[in-house]
Amino acid sequence: MSDSLLEVQDLDVVFGAGRHRQVAVEGLSYTLGKGETLAIVGESGSGKSVSSLALLGLLPRSARIERGTARFAGEDLLGLPEEQLRRLRGDRLTMIFQEPMTSLNPVLTIGRQLTEGLVEHRGIAQAAAEARAGEMIELVGLGDPARRLAQYPHELSGGMRQRVMIAMAMASEPDILIADEPTTALDVTVQAQILDLMRDLKARFGTSIILITHDMGVVAEMADRVVVMHRGRKVEEGAVGEVFARPREAYTRNLLAAVPRLGAYARTTAPRIVVDRPAEVDRRAPVVRARGLRKRFAGRSWFGRGDAGVLALDDVALDLYPGETLALVGESGSGKSTAGRAVLRLLEVDAGEIEVDGVELRGLGRAGLRRARGHMQMIFQDPFASLNPRLTVGALVAEPMQIHGIARGRELDDRIEALFHRVGLESDHIRRYPHEFSGGQRQRVAIARALGVGPKLIVADEPTSALDGAVQAQVLELLLELQQSLGLAYLFISHDMAVVEEVSHRVAVMQRGRIVETGPRPVVLNDPRHVYTRALLAAVPVADPTRRRGVLPRLDTATMPRGPLTEIAPGHLVAAGAEAA
Amino acid sequence: MASVVEPARAAAGAPASRSFLGSLLRTPSGAVGLVVVAVLVLAALLAAWIAPYDPLRMAAGPRLAPPSWAHWFGTDDFGRDVFSRIVYGARLTLQIGVIAVGISLTSGLLLGLVAGYASGWTERVLMRLVDVLFSFTEIVIALACLAILGIGLTNAMIAIGIASIPFYARITHSVVLVERNKPYFEAAVAGGAGHLRLIFRHLLPNVVPTLIVVGTLGVSTAVLAAAGLSFLGLGAQPPQPEWGFMLSSSRDLISRAPWMMIFPGVAIAITVLGFNLLGDGVREVLDPRQRQR
Amino acid sequence: MLRYIAQRLAAAAVTIWVATVAVTLLIHAVPGDPVRIMYAKFQSTPEQLEAVRTSLGLDQPIHVQYAMYLGRLFEGDLGRTIVGDQPVLDVLLARFPATLTLAVASLAIAILVGMPLGFLAAYKRGSWIDIGAMLVAIVGVSMPHFWLGLLLLFFFALQLGWLPVAGSGIANLVLPALTLGLANAAVLARLTRSAMIDIFDQDFVRTAQAKGLPKTVVLYRHALRAGLVPIVSMLGLQFAYLMGGAIVVENVFAWNGVGRLAIEAVFARDYPLIQGFILFFASIVVIVSVIIDVLYAFLDPRIRYG
Repeated sequence: MSDSLLEVQDLDVVFGAGRHRQVAVEGLSYTLGKGETLAIVGESGSGKSVSSLALLGLLPRSARIERGTARFAGEDLLGLPEEQLRRLRGDRLTMIFQEPMTSLNPVLTIGRQLTEGLVEHRGIAQAAAEARAGEMIELVGLGDPARRLAQYPHELSGGMRQRVMIAMAMASEPDILIADEPTTALDVTVQAQILDLMRDLKARFGTSIILITHDMGVVAEMADRVVVMHRGRKVEEGAVGEVFARPREAYTRNLLAAVPRLGAYARTTAPRIVVDRPAEVDRRAPVVRARGLRKRFAGRSWFGRGDAGVLALDDVALDLYPGETLALVGESGSGKSTAGRAVLRLLEVDAGEIEVDGVELRGLGRAGLRRARGHMQMIFQDPFASLNPRLTVGALVAEPMQIHGIARGRELDDRIEALFHRVGLESDHIRRYPHEFSGGQRQRVAIARALGVGPKLIVADEPTSALDGAVQAQVLELLLELQQSLGLAYLFISHDMAVVEEVSHRVAVMQRGRIVETGPRPVVLNDPRHVYTRALLAAVPVADPTRRRGVLPRLDTATMPRGPLTEIAPGHLVAAGAEAA
Repeated sequence: MASVVEPARAAAGAPASRSFLGSLLRTPSGAVGLVVVAVLVLAALLAAWIAPYDPLRMAAGPRLAPPSWAHWFGTDDFGRDVFSRIVYGARLTLQIGVIAVGISLTSGLLLGLVAGYASGWTERVLMRLVDVLFSFTEIVIALACLAILGIGLTNAMIAIGIASIPFYARITHSVVLVERNKPYFEAAVAGGAGHLRLIFRHLLPNVVPTLIVVGTLGVSTAVLAAAGLSFLGLGAQPPQPEWGFMLSSSRDLISRAPWMMIFPGVAIAITVLGFNLLGDGVREVLDPRQRQR
Repeated sequence: MLRYIAQRLAAAAVTIWVATVAVTLLIHAVPGDPVRIMYAKFQSTPEQLEAVRTSLGLDQPIHVQYAMYLGRLFEGDLGRTIVGDQPVLDVLLARFPATLTLAVASLAIAILVGMPLGFLAAYKRGSWIDIGAMLVAIVGVSMPHFWLGLLLLFFFALQLGWLPVAGSGIANLVLPALTLGLANAAVLARLTRSAMIDIFDQDFVRTAQAKGLPKTVVLYRHALRAGLVPIVSMLGLQFAYLMGGAIVVENVFAWNGVGRLAIEAVFARDYPLIQGFILFFASIVVIVSVIIDVLYAFLDPRIRYG
């Protein structure tokens, strides 16, 4: 590219020294053109973040640059004295980070944090800086600048904080904005808004963007060109259309193949068949029948404003049949995880009925509940935290079987081994500890533990969202296979619409404690009737640069219909008042 | 079925296979601390062979003799050999550490574990009480205990043990709260585990590492506190060769016999330093945050 | 904010209330006859002991005793000392200014020495400055207060003759305050260092650097301001620790504060004075920690506007 703005050449970044020496980035070169968005993609640990932090001199203490140049405006960023680099940093080159919740200083006002960079770099008066900060607050869609500037970070939500970060980074109209996973920590509808905002500002100011991400959907939506990284090295580089349409390297192809694409199963009515003689959904009697679930979490009574707490579940009802997957979808705080735990009676609801396998759970005593737990199991989101680090995985898988008296001694050992093989692990894994396994393997251990007691119901709470692409696909495959051969019922909790489309028979959409739409998966996903469902679907980035994501409908939580569900088609229920939209 | 193609990520740094002692010796503070504590234990065990004189024997040498070949650390105002008294003092010091920490650790662990596991009202009442006792400060609780029990070294050990219970209870409680909210605990509940299994198989093993660290550091606090009480005359009584008490009897002789003040003080400081360093070393080995670095 | 302060005050009231109960129970926990123990040193007839028992209310049921105790407490009456037969409160109040002076002077030394040292060590993490500072600090933490006191006494008073050995004047304050202050500075340096290291690892410090702010602004405006929040929250505990140390240090330097009084009381088994001391000491610590909690709330906007 002729009018290149930044040229990175042969960058090496190394952590530690001697025995602990680890090369994080090796021989990385790329150029960034004026007004261009360059996406650097890779899985966790690929060196994508480190390489960008290096440009600004923000590497962690244990890391150092061993080699390389980065030419920007006639100078080598990597060779500049700290003082000169500092003058560019935050002015010509700015950065936003992944974690908006922790990236702002909790003890300083938004105004202070927005203006201090301007005052420092532009040498303008505080009043002028505040005026500019106010403009930026308006520009990033926060409104009411006077009030915002006086607020502290804890008074804002994650999405709002990321807007503040963007305002801060764009206030100096920088040449280059480095965005390090800017939307990874955000809900999908908020992500869509933030991405739209970044695009708008880029067009307005002509800023070039280096976008660091693991999400191919975000890449397809935002990038002009792509650099694919794997284990510290550049694997492939090219225009976004080119890379998506004709990836040259096997690694890139696998990366793209593993991306769940919303719409890939749009024409199917049930999850794909992966075994020879699959168990059918049995609609005679439900495994789970819940009615009128209600749960209020007390507010932080500590120094709270006497608020009434959060209504995490509000009149939630659901049915789940043998062999069926019901997906509970929604954003953080929607109550979907609470609902899953309530069904297992891992937390006590305030009101409602829960029947599992025909037994009313809320009336059970300790012994009865323990018996009931033999029919229902759970798989958790974070396979690193859901296995007790002090027990071998064999002991962990054995535990539920011991508790429920299913097997002992020799027979127990045989069952454990069989379970390990069933989920794709090996016999010599049994004596190892959880930390010796990768994320995907741990999730297999967790699945084996759940299967041991021969459950009828498994609540899976975001079982794949902590896993990288290819591994995620394998675990989903395993879950499908187990369901179809054992006739399991899954209550599948997820925020990822593409995954939901792949695995579920029916979908229930939750928003702030209420189910606002529910029905057969093809109907809800292909023909959503509730404005919130539409927003959720429209916000999903499309991992195809030739297609554009849908337009996000305006979400006004105040006027959003949240009334009682009414049946608009067989099995398709929508919150009252939504039909008009 | 899908094959397991991903590489095992953590295989490189498998800490469970490496011995605890080996890892401990690799940390500078752990190694130094371990040596100091080992020397102390040896001195206590072999005191009869190491000490050249009977620690209680008066006129083992001239009164208030400065350090010499015959009396390495000099003699005190009764002509007792200061070095021998310090060697025998190691026994008392270890006793203090073990008994005081034993009392506070077991009681605090139990309290914190029960409160943290029970949650609800039991937790609130127990921890409120612990907080109140905690804000009384350890020295006041110890003084109150001594006022009840009467003075003496054994009572001082018990008093120090009781005084630190709130501290250990708070630490245990805070660790239990963290562990109780981790998914593995919920997973055990979901598996149908009962109270005993949850407490002893799941919570306890995850609480113990922290308490080993705190307990090691706690020995140094206990030794300091006991020496302080003995210095004030509330702990060890004459003629016990207790370091704090030895210091207190050196007070009026500082200008004439500074060695009586210097060596027992050095002994206390090195012992306390040893346990502090050992505790820091153990923390480095056991604390997952440190391990990640 | 007001709600927060009200809550802290309520908690403090509970603590002091528990202290009154504990103090009443204390005398009953004594194995044997407390009156006989108290008066062991005096030649007393059984009739005299019986009279004491009645005047202390020990012949009444325990709840009555407690009610009597509370009733007198609200009138500012903590009973009379066994030794010297004086009002306990008067004795405590007469000695308190000395202790307060010592505590404030020591806290000032601890803060002025310990915090900068900890801050510097955290900032220069891993350097020889850090290692040196932390070596000094861990030795300081490991030294018994009274030994440090004796050493300072030995060098400054006896060898160099710069300062008096004991007494109650300003010159006499230097050594005890230095002893207690330096010992606490070591603890505070370690606490400050670990709190600041946590802060330096926070994302928002990286944000401040990414903004291209000068190092000093990043350090003082961002890191130190935020770091003060956890550090101040530890000061309450630090003060309690310091007060505990004061009891010992007062005895080393014959400083006539409440700490010395307390030890004398334990020796003399002067239970009314011991009871009074415990209640008094606990109240002081609690009141100071409430003040620090309020200060803390001012530093942390999450509480200030919570």
